[in-house]
Amino acid sequence: MIPYTVERRADTGVTNVRLGIWLFLASEVMLFGALFSSYALLRVSAPAWPHGLEVLGVWFGVTHTIVLSLMTALVLRARSAPAGQARTLLAAGSFLAIVFLVTKGVEWRGEIAQGLVPSVNTFFAMYYTLTGLHALHVVCGLVANAWAVLGARRVGDAMTAGRIYSIGLYWALVDLVWLAIFLLFYLT
Amino acid sequence: MRIISTDHKVIGLQYLFTSLTFLLLGFALIVLVRWQLAYPAQPIPLIGGLFGESNVVQGVMLPEFYTQLSAMHGTIMVFLAVVPLAVGAFGNYLVPLMIGAPDMAFPRLNALSYWLYLAGGIVMVTGFVLPGGAASSGWTSYPPLADIASAGQTAWLVGMFVLIVSSLLGAINIIVTIMQLRAPGLTMMRLPFFVWAQLVTSFLLLLAFPPLQGAAVLQLMDRLAGTSFFLPSGLVVSGAPLRATGGGSPILWQHLFWFLAHPEVYVLILPAFGIVAEVIANATRKPLWGYRAMVGSALFMGSMSFIVWAHHMFLTGMGPTMSAFFQVTTMIISVPSVIIVSSLLISLYGGSIRFTVPALFALAFLPMFGIGGLTGLPLGLAASDIPLHDTYYVVGHFHYIVAPGTLFALFAGIYYWFPKVTGRMMNPRLGTLHFWGSFIGMNGIFLPMLIEGLAGVNRRLYDGGRTYAFTQPVIHLYSGQWWSTVLLGAAQLFFIVNLVWSLARGKRTAENPWQSTTLEWATTSPPPHENFPTPPRVHRGPYDYSPPGAAIDFLPQHQP
Repeated sequence: MIPYTVERRADTGVTNVRLGIWLFLASEVMLFGALFSSYALLRVSAPAWPHGLEVLGVWFGVTHTIVLSLMTALVLRARSAPAGQARTLLAAGSFLAIVFLVTKGVEWRGEIAQGLVPSVNTFFAMYYTLTGLHALHVVCGLVANAWAVLGARRVGDAMTAGRIYSIGLYWALVDLVWLAIFLLFYLT
Repeated sequence: MRIISTDHKVIGLQYLFTSLTFLLLGFALIVLVRWQLAYPAQPIPLIGGLFGESNVVQGVMLPEFYTQLSAMHGTIMVFLAVVPLAVGAFGNYLVPLMIGAPDMAFPRLNALSYWLYLAGGIVMVTGFVLPGGAASSGWTSYPPLADIASAGQTAWLVGMFVLIVSSLLGAINIIVTIMQLRAPGLTMMRLPFFVWAQLVTSFLLLLAFPPLQGAAVLQLMDRLAGTSFFLPSGLVVSGAPLRATGGGSPILWQHLFWFLAHPEVYVLILPAFGIVAEVIANATRKPLWGYRAMVGSALFMGSMSFIVWAHHMFLTGMGPTMSAFFQVTTMIISVPSVIIVSSLLISLYGGSIRFTVPALFALAFLPMFGIGGLTGLPLGLAASDIPLHDTYYVVGHFHYIVAPGTLFALFAGIYYWFPKVTGRMMNPRLGTLHFWGSFIGMNGIFLPMLIEGLAGVNRRLYDGGRTYAFTQPVIHLYSGQWWSTVLLGAAQLFFIVNLVWSLARGKRTAENPWQSTTLEWATTSPPPHENFPTPPRVHRGPYDYSPPGAAIDFLPQHQP
């Protein structure tokens, strides 16, 4: 049996999964940090850079931001809720994440229909890369949500609470990355 | 033994055999390269007809195939052979045993990271059967060349993406295991140096690899979605203007790549330091000299390695301020490696050394790494780097670190822990032959490289630079390097035979054949599932050899 899956280790003060998720988030920060740095470098060296307010649908951006932040709030709320309620909150959050993916898909379709594809300029190249990678993170988050809800019966409440704690942190990062994208692409 | 297992020992062995296979493949590729350099335009003997008309015509290698071979040799050796061997195999098998844990913290994640590694490796190597062949833009995949290369480059990028996910999961697993699953009494400063080295290495894997993953995504977008992240405006390819929006920056790739690839150097060398430290402490029957300084150096080296990367880029036209910064950090980071190597060297002083096969490899590591490290200093200073850049001097320098350096440490580790894994010894006579053959062979290949590089021979020339007048004084060295390659290859046969034969027929050993102090020897060999019949408790530091007044010359960590 592997120790400290549920109870904390006295000298480190954390469970295995709690340490694991923070390490994972650190690597995610490095991934997006590298991409946002690339954005900065390419933008400052570009002769012209389109205004996001003019080429992107700002109301799409606002909708995504509201939906995803609401979603994150629900998942963060689930961390302190009783077991049964936590799973309901997670399911509700997953629904919002799906709404996000659908509206994002509608937005992409509209842009592609207007001929605004990644090869148009560096602005759109970066936009599609970052929003695409972000959407991939939303999909992975949905898989994690389903894993926590469906596995709850098998591993018990204590373990599930640990998983929901970690998933909440992950969604908070996904939301933060979105806020950065919203700021850097839609509002400037 | 199940194929899909979550036992860290099975996964460690899967990593071992997969990475040894890739190691052999990487070596096979470079044998062809060395033939080409020694005897250009002469048919490859015996096997020249096996590579297809698009690669080898009437036994003679084409330049396109040469670039694939050298690019894939580097990629395979670094990403598919040495790192998985050092971290995947040794880390997985030994870390839980050395800290007295039943398994890794996340066993299923561990299995996933092995299978992702295998998948990523296979995707990369399948490049050879794609039209246009495998990736051919060097192991660094510099754009714009890599952006416009054939489909093999896409396989390289996809494979790299998958490999980084794999090493990321592995790194999280090792860090959590070390922090959380240490046996009672095993405080951080009682950890064997090997475990410290794995801990720092895992932090590098965790934090340095994601930027390359991001860069791989950007390059994939360039290749598949027509973006221009790394393509500057106004490129002309084969006489026609390239249809791309332009405005990108090839230098951006270099920054992202070397931000990974410099810490990567320490990923290659730290586990080697760890293995050598264990073997030397055991062979000298003395506590390691300067254990605390070594741990501090490993931590300092790990953190410094994030701010030295641009010393690979002195030729990109960075200003003197930038280059001064990176020269200073580069000189500073040489200090901790010197502290570690000096501590190991001083540890030898006054010991009655047991010259076992693992000890031979570990002892040879010290001067070989010394040559590798010292030849690196001129490359860390812009003034001397500019003429040496992209010559064989650079190739000689990093091969001294990775081949008779890291690989020797890894061989030492295989000979040292083989009895742990199998309960049998490897044959010492074959092991000694393997050692001397490898030692002479490797020096016979890499020492001439330094000379060629100082003469100014560029490292990427398909004919070894025969058309230039200034290369003429060193051209004759290539044939000596070819015969050293043959010797090196022959020496590896002793290793392969020894490994296979000892698995079945090796001499059975006692529980603790090297009379070692660390926890992995506190259980049976091979260890059972969940490792320790009763969880061990730790009472002392890792290297209590020759304690004054004791009847035996070692006190195991678990002994009260």
